[in-house]
Amino acid sequence: MIKVNPKIKVYRFNHEMESPDYDTFEVELHPGMTVLSALFQIQDKYDDSLAFRYSCRGAVCGTCAMLINKVPRLACRSQVEDLLKDKVPETVADEDISMAGEDISWNPQEEVLVEPLPHLPVIRDLVVDMELFFQYYRLVEPTFRPAGPDPEKERLMDPGAVKELGVYTNCILCGACHAACPVVGENPEYLGPAALAKLYRFYIDPREAEGDSRLEKGDIPNGWWACESYGDCYRVCPRNVPPIVAIRQAINQLNKWK
Amino acid sequence: MIHQHDVILIGGGLTGLRAALQIKEAGLDGAVISKVHPLRSHSVAAQGGMNASLGNVEGEGGIKDSWQNHAYDTVKGSDYLADQDAVELMCREAPRTVIELEHMGMVWSRLENGKIAQRPFGGAGFPRTCYAADRTGHNALHTLYENMVGREIPVYEEFYLTSLVIDEGRCVGCTALEIVTGEVHGFQARAVLLATGGFGRIYDRSTNALINTGEGTSLALEAGAQLKDMEFVQFHPTTLYGTNILITEGARGEGGILLNKDGKRFMEGYAPRTRDLAARDVISRAMEQEIAEGRAYPGGYLYLDLRHLGPDKIKERLPGIRQIAMDFAGVDPIEEKIPVQPGQHYSMGGVDVDMGGATSIPGLYAAGECACISVHGANRLGGNSLLETVVFGRLVADRIIEDVYSINFTEKEPIKTAMINMDIKIGNILSREEGEHLFQIREAMTRTMSQGFGILREKQDMQENLQEIKKLQKQLPLVSIQNSKRELNQALVRFLELEGMLLLSEAVARSAIAREESRGSHFRTDYPERDDINFLKHTLIDLKDDEMRVSYKPVKLGMFEPEERVY
Repeated sequence: MIKVNPKIKVYRFNHEMESPDYDTFEVELHPGMTVLSALFQIQDKYDDSLAFRYSCRGAVCGTCAMLINKVPRLACRSQVEDLLKDKVPETVADEDISMAGEDISWNPQEEVLVEPLPHLPVIRDLVVDMELFFQYYRLVEPTFRPAGPDPEKERLMDPGAVKELGVYTNCILCGACHAACPVVGENPEYLGPAALAKLYRFYIDPREAEGDSRLEKGDIPNGWWACESYGDCYRVCPRNVPPIVAIRQAINQLNKWK
Repeated sequence: MIHQHDVILIGGGLTGLRAALQIKEAGLDGAVISKVHPLRSHSVAAQGGMNASLGNVEGEGGIKDSWQNHAYDTVKGSDYLADQDAVELMCREAPRTVIELEHMGMVWSRLENGKIAQRPFGGAGFPRTCYAADRTGHNALHTLYENMVGREIPVYEEFYLTSLVIDEGRCVGCTALEIVTGEVHGFQARAVLLATGGFGRIYDRSTNALINTGEGTSLALEAGAQLKDMEFVQFHPTTLYGTNILITEGARGEGGILLNKDGKRFMEGYAPRTRDLAARDVISRAMEQEIAEGRAYPGGYLYLDLRHLGPDKIKERLPGIRQIAMDFAGVDPIEEKIPVQPGQHYSMGGVDVDMGGATSIPGLYAAGECACISVHGANRLGGNSLLETVVFGRLVADRIIEDVYSINFTEKEPIKTAMINMDIKIGNILSREEGEHLFQIREAMTRTMSQGFGILREKQDMQENLQEIKKLQKQLPLVSIQNSKRELNQALVRFLELEGMLLLSEAVARSAIAREESRGSHFRTDYPERDDINFLKHTLIDLKDDEMRVSYKPVKLGMFEPEERVY
């Protein structure tokens, strides 16, 4: 148990400011306190102008992804105490995942550093504009296109196929992978891991008519081919979705054709 | 800015999106307004499943399920307060609705023969609940949203509903705050559908998302619509101790059992036949009694034990539950028991609507959890809420499509006036310099509602807590917000949410005090029996000149005569 109250060092920005700044707040720790509940405490008691997105607070809706101690994660799923001990969740690699942003120092023994998701424009404080992220999502045309007309009952599916699909349908579109991907950082036109994982989900759906055209949709320089296999997408994913596996498999398939 | 659409759908959850797809299909121009990105709606958190008598899995003795069985279980579960015509409609439409989602691309869990899998659920006589592991809402909502994207249906994301505009008795649109800019927009429409979900956040222990503040319901009341059966608030037996995140009933459907401090399977004593799969109100009350009589752990929790299911079943059927237990309680259900306690889960009550989803205000419709049609009566069965959202999302949209042909857009003046009024109101809220803290009033409200209007209720206690709510309503205009900026001012949004929630709290309180009997989720320690002679009727609340009035209307009976409810 930590004796002193921890501090939350928060990124602040609004359009009236010339450059971003950081504010540090001491919060009253309670057992199991998440970064999201710490942010609420700040908003309630110290500064009601602090802006951040939230909804389910149970790690299922994907709203509250932010950069916490330089790693993209869901604020509702990250416990303050674990972060202070620097006990990084298992799915995240030890090394600093090369998060963009300026060099900012913080004391990881006493402070948790909270910043907005990288690679997306900041609207205010921890709120980013997700439009580009969803633009790529729409670009892969994520709408089911069945083979043949609808039968009277359900289309039959093998439970094994459902399991395989589940790996990708689990994506909550929180944007953590997009923020972690070094390629996205270098090339803003890259569709990114989330959109490509979504495309792959439709490619492997056995009920679809046109698996091949799904693959071709990503067969562009900023599609499958732009991935450089860093694997940070999988490491930061709160749902263990592996976009890197989808992308590698799509590339293998395309290579077989060529 | 004034936007014009044939139909405005308020809420981006399953109901709003299903309705929007139907409106589009009919060639009308519909637009969704949502306070969050639609994929962040609370529908996404629904775990266990959707009931439909597909009959893919046989019941005991090889008997096949039917819609009549589904209707019987639903009516019995409702403690006979559901309207049986609405229940019949929902249960008849259920199989088609599950299959329709499959046709749209939703991935359901499957049986070995490839058909959609079904599992047992509380209060149900058959394994009737279709599911997608324990992420049914997630799969359903993403599928509907993917179809929205394919059809390019407009969505006003992060727009907070601020008022419904009524002109000459008809709802002609609404105003909404664009949260990012702080600008008030007007929306003119030939019909408005409320699909804003529940209001669980009036309680301190709730499974609901933090956004479930019920503004659609409170604004409908203010606009002149009636609310129905507001005293019926569902407390789910298994919410995770500490955060009250939901642990699906599916966990017990798969064989999980509840244990008290002495390691006893206590439900055997309360519901000998169905035990851990009795209806939710029955189990929550049993847990409350175990807690009251000292057979729970300090802090008031019991255990849900899944260990005997084995690692494979837990990983395959309940992966999300395992993740939640590990993330939020540090417990792996494969190896340890899960600490649980009852928590607010669902609002059976809501805006009073007819079978087509129409409110008493022409042009205004409601569907899903914000409405009370009523298919859940005094207690909802697990697996019936996802069903309700999609069935009535479609059917109410059909009714709107029929109705709007005879309706034309009228002049914009009433919308403009409403926008100006809202702008002045917001200006006033932001200009107060000194006053009470918003969060203190919110915390006092949630505490008061849990104390007075929880699982067990009593007259004196309820009246005192109602007085406390009235006091908080008076304090609210004295609240000051430090942040006076319009852009992305979340304190402002939370103020507006709180204003509505205090109104809903009063509606729950007045309805609960007036119902001097025990039925479904509403249990009065001073009136512990069901009283069909005096209270087999729906409670109505309306608001006139700032005064709430309670009245009643009959329940629509039909196929099933009220009988004693035994599990």
